[in-house]
Amino acid sequence: MFGQLFIKECRQTAKSLIYWLIVLVLIFNFATQLGNMDIMQKPKEGQEDYGYKQSDDKNMIMRTTLGQLLEEYYRESYSTYPIGFYKSVTLNDKEDKQIEEIIKETTGLSGRTETRKAIEKWYAAQPKETNAEGALVLRKSMEAEPVEGLTFERFEELMDEADHILGGGSGYEEVSRKSASVPMTYEDAVEEYRKLTEKDRLTGGYARLFSDYMVIFLGLLPVFLAVTRELRDKRAGMQDLIYTRKGSSVNIIASRYLSMLIMLVLPVLALSVIPLSQCLRYASASGISADIWAYVKYIFGWLLPTIMTATAVGMFFTELTDTALAVLIQGAWWFVAVFTGISTLKGGIYGWSLIPRHNTELNWTGFHDNFSQLASNRIVYASISIILVAFTAFIYNQKRKGRYTVSWKGFGRLKK
Amino acid sequence: MERLWQIEKVNLKHHVLLHFLVCVLLLGISPLLMGVKNLTAVDTAKVLERYVALIGIIMLTPIFLPEQDRDIRGLVYAKYTKASQVYMVRLAGNILILAAFLGIYIFVLKQNQCEFPVLKYYFGVFAEVLFFGGLGLFFYGVSDNLIIGYMAPMVYYIIAIGGGDKYLKMFYPFSMSMGKYEEKICLFAAAVVLTAIGIRFRSVGDGVK
Repeated sequence: MFGQLFIKECRQTAKSLIYWLIVLVLIFNFATQLGNMDIMQKPKEGQEDYGYKQSDDKNMIMRTTLGQLLEEYYRESYSTYPIGFYKSVTLNDKEDKQIEEIIKETTGLSGRTETRKAIEKWYAAQPKETNAEGALVLRKSMEAEPVEGLTFERFEELMDEADHILGGGSGYEEVSRKSASVPMTYEDAVEEYRKLTEKDRLTGGYARLFSDYMVIFLGLLPVFLAVTRELRDKRAGMQDLIYTRKGSSVNIIASRYLSMLIMLVLPVLALSVIPLSQCLRYASASGISADIWAYVKYIFGWLLPTIMTATAVGMFFTELTDTALAVLIQGAWWFVAVFTGISTLKGGIYGWSLIPRHNTELNWTGFHDNFSQLASNRIVYASISIILVAFTAFIYNQKRKGRYTVSWKGFGRLKK
Repeated sequence: MERLWQIEKVNLKHHVLLHFLVCVLLLGISPLLMGVKNLTAVDTAKVLERYVALIGIIMLTPIFLPEQDRDIRGLVYAKYTKASQVYMVRLAGNILILAAFLGIYIFVLKQNQCEFPVLKYYFGVFAEVLFFGGLGLFFYGVSDNLIIGYMAPMVYYIIAIGGGDKYLKMFYPFSMSMGKYEEKICLFAAAVVLTAIGIRFRSVGDGVK
């Protein structure tokens, strides 16, 4: 029974216009973002630049972060980006005192007068350079010396506290502290290349980059397919007829869900063949032992939980409300996930985002060090989606038995 | 005129409320998500172009929703009043609501000491609002599928966010935050064309062939 239903559902999906529109969008996304992908060549000595890497110099992180804190504290205005948009925060007296305490513990400076003197002293010591228009140019942003004996762990605790006081998204949160970039040296570049070719076996790094581009669209598109499918029977006036069939609700919903997942994963797998073959060609010419299954692993490990969640949200809210409300809910979730994720593009900062980012084939270290966080993230979303599908089957069953009906009369309409 | 007002009254009473409330919610929660005080012109444009303009998708895309059921559509098309006329009245009503929403939001931004050219931004964002809505309305009208109607402007939005100025050129919706305005004129023209085609397509079978 399940197998028959599953095949029927796959056929339904293959015949639906929205499915092919989704495939087209995925192809467009791939062609525009990864169509001209270049495989990283081995760095040569004497190159003009080797790109940037995330700074892991703890002293430098402390100095620049504290410098920013001093300036913002003195200005009494803090720049934050809670969901990627600029937001200026002004603190009340109590919160201002808390920041003052943090500054005292980290820099030894007490109050605005001492802070002002420290800022003036730092700027006075900077070399005075002018640009072509004659305007004064500062090569470095403000830095402040941490107080002697301040451990990095304590510094991190206090910066987390400062970020919490500011409502999140400030320059003191973990993501911002980690995102400080420094230019790579030749040795750094060689080391990154070694990790890409040996640890990631080339394809691992590029499969991550592929996943990063695809996950943006796959965090939203499946909801359209799911909502359309859930409303289809109702729209065709076949709902009551289907309700009376003998297939169990769990079988109907589970086969529908599984078929949509398979049909959504198929074009992604097909698209991955292009960069995979590119990587394999390069690997064979350079004597690198590439991992031929890397793309499959990343598609199922990284992308599938996102597809599962967006599809489950679509099915659950459509069955619950008989409306297109799921589009709005998933759209809002996507919006927040994408804009808050802008500061995590370098990878290694996955948190609990539905759309984990890693917009580089490099930074194997960041991926490796935070793998358990990413794995927990993916497992949680896969679990949430299965729970939502179970609830969908429950609601569907209640509807079949006539115990649950949706009525929006008197509250406008968003039906079908 | 009386007849047109009656059409709009029914629209306001039965079809607009939910979408209206979603827009109120979307705009109402914005101070919790982003800054709406003391913004520079660029930051103000970002808020307006990337967030506020989304209300166009909510208000304009579902214009044809009340006649989604083919039986109801057949009945409406058999009436003396042309369906296209009903759609136009609904469209005009919803555009007025959007104009008011945008006006209020921009007024609040200005009151909050945001520095930006008010009229220029108002008309620029309004063109974008109409474009997103027109895109949704067009795809809904052509495909007879509301979900495709929502999907089209949302995909367009994602493409624009992902460095879309390279591909969307004169139809790039976030041009004001890059200091450019000509794109808004193209967006307005496209909005008019898309809306007209969408309504015309949907009205086939209503004696306007």
